[in-house]
Amino acid sequence: MSGEHPIIRVEHAVKKFGHFTAVDDVSLRVEAGQILGLLGANGAGKTTLIKLILGLEALDGGDVFVFDERPSRASRARLGYVPQGLGLYSDLTVRQNIDFVAGAFGVAEPPEAPEAIAAAGGRLVGDVGLGVQRRLAFYCALLHAPELLVLDEPTSGVDPLARARLWDTIHQQAETGAGVLVTTHYMQEAEQCDDLLLMSHGRKVAAGTEAEITAGTKVVEVSTPSWVAAFDALSAAGLPVTLAGRVVRVAGLERAQIDEVLAAASVPATVRDVPATLEEKMVLADRPESAP
Amino acid sequence: MSVRPAAGGWGAEGCTVRFTSARGVVTALSDISLAVPRGQVTAVVGGDGAGKTTLLRVLAGRVTPGSGRVSAPDAHDMGFMPSASGVWRELTVDENLEFVGRAYGVRGARLAARRRTLLERADLLDAADRLSGRLSGGMRQKLGFCLAMIHEPELLILDEPSTGVDPVSRVELWRMIAETAATGRAVVMSTTYLDEAERVASVLVLDGGYALYAGDPRNIGSAVPGCVVRGAAAVVAGQAAWRRGPETHAWFAAEVPAGSEGVADPDMEDAVIALTLAHDARAADPRAAT
Amino acid sequence: MLAMIIKEFRELRRDRRTLAMLLALPVLLLIVFGYAANFHITSLTAAVVGPGAAQVEQQIAANPQAAGHLDIVATDPSGDVAAARSYLADAKANVAVYVGGAKPVVYIDGSSLFAAQSAQVLVASLGSKVDSEILFNPQLKTSWVMVPALVGLILTFIGMLVTSIGLVKERQNGTLEQLAVMPFRPSAVIAGKIAPYFVLAAADMLAVTLLGVWIFKVPFNGSPLLFALGGAIFLFVVLGLGVLISTISQTVGQAIQTAMFVLMPQILLSGFIFPLAAMPAGVRWIGYLLPLTYFAKISQGIMLRGAGLSSLWPAFVILTVMAVVAFGAAVLRFQRSIAPVRSRAGRSPGGKLGDGTAEQGVEVLKGATP
Repeated sequence: MSGEHPIIRVEHAVKKFGHFTAVDDVSLRVEAGQILGLLGANGAGKTTLIKLILGLEALDGGDVFVFDERPSRASRARLGYVPQGLGLYSDLTVRQNIDFVAGAFGVAEPPEAPEAIAAAGGRLVGDVGLGVQRRLAFYCALLHAPELLVLDEPTSGVDPLARARLWDTIHQQAETGAGVLVTTHYMQEAEQCDDLLLMSHGRKVAAGTEAEITAGTKVVEVSTPSWVAAFDALSAAGLPVTLAGRVVRVAGLERAQIDEVLAAASVPATVRDVPATLEEKMVLADRPESAP
Repeated sequence: MSVRPAAGGWGAEGCTVRFTSARGVVTALSDISLAVPRGQVTAVVGGDGAGKTTLLRVLAGRVTPGSGRVSAPDAHDMGFMPSASGVWRELTVDENLEFVGRAYGVRGARLAARRRTLLERADLLDAADRLSGRLSGGMRQKLGFCLAMIHEPELLILDEPSTGVDPVSRVELWRMIAETAATGRAVVMSTTYLDEAERVASVLVLDGGYALYAGDPRNIGSAVPGCVVRGAAAVVAGQAAWRRGPETHAWFAAEVPAGSEGVADPDMEDAVIALTLAHDARAADPRAAT
Repeated sequence: MLAMIIKEFRELRRDRRTLAMLLALPVLLLIVFGYAANFHITSLTAAVVGPGAAQVEQQIAANPQAAGHLDIVATDPSGDVAAARSYLADAKANVAVYVGGAKPVVYIDGSSLFAAQSAQVLVASLGSKVDSEILFNPQLKTSWVMVPALVGLILTFIGMLVTSIGLVKERQNGTLEQLAVMPFRPSAVIAGKIAPYFVLAAADMLAVTLLGVWIFKVPFNGSPLLFALGGAIFLFVVLGLGVLISTISQTVGQAIQTAMFVLMPQILLSGFIFPLAAMPAGVRWIGYLLPLTYFAKISQGIMLRGAGLSSLWPAFVILTVMAVVAFGAAVLRFQRSIAPVRSRAGRSPGGKLGDGTAEQGVEVLKGATP
């Protein structure tokens, strides 16, 4: 796949609402067959960026190109979009929702629906569970065989098996050549993406593969039976502490410094250097330039 | 496979909850037991529709089960944080605290002291007179936690306290939750984040109203019947396979098929997926040996 | 575009409240403006008082035109002028004819605006044979009749619309669940939610009355205490209705729709705009079912005619019954709506539940919270 004509090209996009800058100088590219994950908490600016790409919001600065042109109705006809709220009509049946989307996109013969959806055909969307709703939203977005998929938090709230199934569908689409832009606040889903873009407070915090992003960050892992005491001591010292299981981790500092704090609090522990996680990268990025 | 409440402890035992909805009778919980001991955090994990909220509401006394027993303190000794933070958006942070405090009989000097402690720990002191509708999601969740804790309850029930919250606030929330348990109270929380479930003392994994696993999250891997494999054999396993990034994993009911690589200690995500598949298989064909 | 149209129709079919509005509104308006909207009162009730009463009664009976327009409800040969006036003060008749002096005097009840106008026409046709005097509202000012009824309308708005919105917002935000978990008794919740609206409505009632008296010079001839009592009872009716509306609405929009449903007939058929007496009986009975009708009678009677409990007691009794029913039902329904949900009894059936179908009474507010 050539990098010459990426499906999505965003260059230094800026979007403000009054005094509030929702998107602050963000650039990204999505190629055909690539899954790009936009990671960030609620309020980071992911959804606003999506809306800029879809042409639902106007830019205040920078440029957005979809299929090599500015977002338009024509480009929207070539992409499938699943918003956070799923975009389904809860007071219509599953079948009626499919009919509506098929009619809107001019799809005369929709592809065969997965079993779970076909079985629920006559039920109101408001009455089926979230798992089926999400799969229906996916199915509707894929009806017109789009070349680009834009998914805003597609797996929020579903159980691990259903989440895996949704990702199966996403991978299938990418393997047949579609580009996929996914947003999520589950850091775990990063492993499902080819490339990542981390956002916080409207800004790009990091970009690249998971390995590239976490490469430069130092993290110290603290193993001790009294993990609560260690956690407390390090938090009290104002250090960026996170938890993985019962293991306390501190990002961005040297082992010696950690040892000092723990010794001062009389907490016996062993410390060692470990690779960073994406969440730690985000936490570090959020802090004002920290030096304890 | 259940964790029964210790004598005199809090929790639910053998609870079944069935509702009549638009489409007939729905079983929200099927013979579920959950112990919520003091001094530790207990987690209930599952996707939407698994029954997490129903179970927490059973504990809180908002739902009466069709069968089974519930042991919980009365309203004065219980704190509850619903999944939408339970904060009154048209009131400021201080006004929220005052309202809830007074409802629980916390006023005057005691209210002032609790307010100070809670807001300090939650890093919300600077926002004390801001409208809570204007707080960020993470700050609102932290406020919800403070409201649930204001009267120092014996049992704290939190429904998805950190869903969607930014990483920094999530860590702070977790710290507040862990500290609360450390002071000897009983804390039960529901979550869809598996990494949170990994760090609690005891977890209950629900799916469609059924319990898939209950116990120490560190042992969940060994509770998976059959085996989890990765690699070539997994790719052809059809419905029993799932993607983990570039890899494909699959679950087999029997032993590891020849020539494929078994996953020695499946992590929580693999374990939950495998347990769900195993449960589905049993339900579809009860004769199949696990 | 066809897809859009089909979808819109399908959705509309399921939105029962909007459908009801689409169907019921034209019917209501048709009834009102077809039958009820009538300013012309054809038949007046009359009391004939004084020594010449019997004679006048015969004359009227003998005159077909007069008989057609006058319905004699009382003949009181031993009564005096005061007695004649009291028939009007007690709203027992639209006009009272006192036949005792040199000329008969026709006293007209000015608090019934349209009846009074009809009476004026009648009196004019009798020329100089009679004297006349309009009581209570000598200049037949519309504002004097409107203001007392307006007090009732404002109470209705606050009681029903504002109260129901306030309660539904709590449910929409999920904080009603919170209240249910806290150590509040349900009666405390409902009382706490309603009390501010009660106070606000009472303050509004006072303000409108005072403004009416100062700006429009509307008289206040009766007992303020009785007025306040009537207002309080009426408030319980409308507050009860407001709470009931909130228990059957899931969103603020639905609450407003339903409140307007109940409000519109009261505005049009309570005698506030179109007089009840002018409506055909088939439509008038609707007005007799509406609480505002009775409060309007009370407030107009007290303010304009100085009427007391002795003549207003039927309206008071009816309002009290309505208050007990409406408020009682409201409290019961509200308590039920925040009581714990009961599961069906029994142990679980075997096998797995399918796809986690939505549960009644359990709100799942996760997923897409920005």
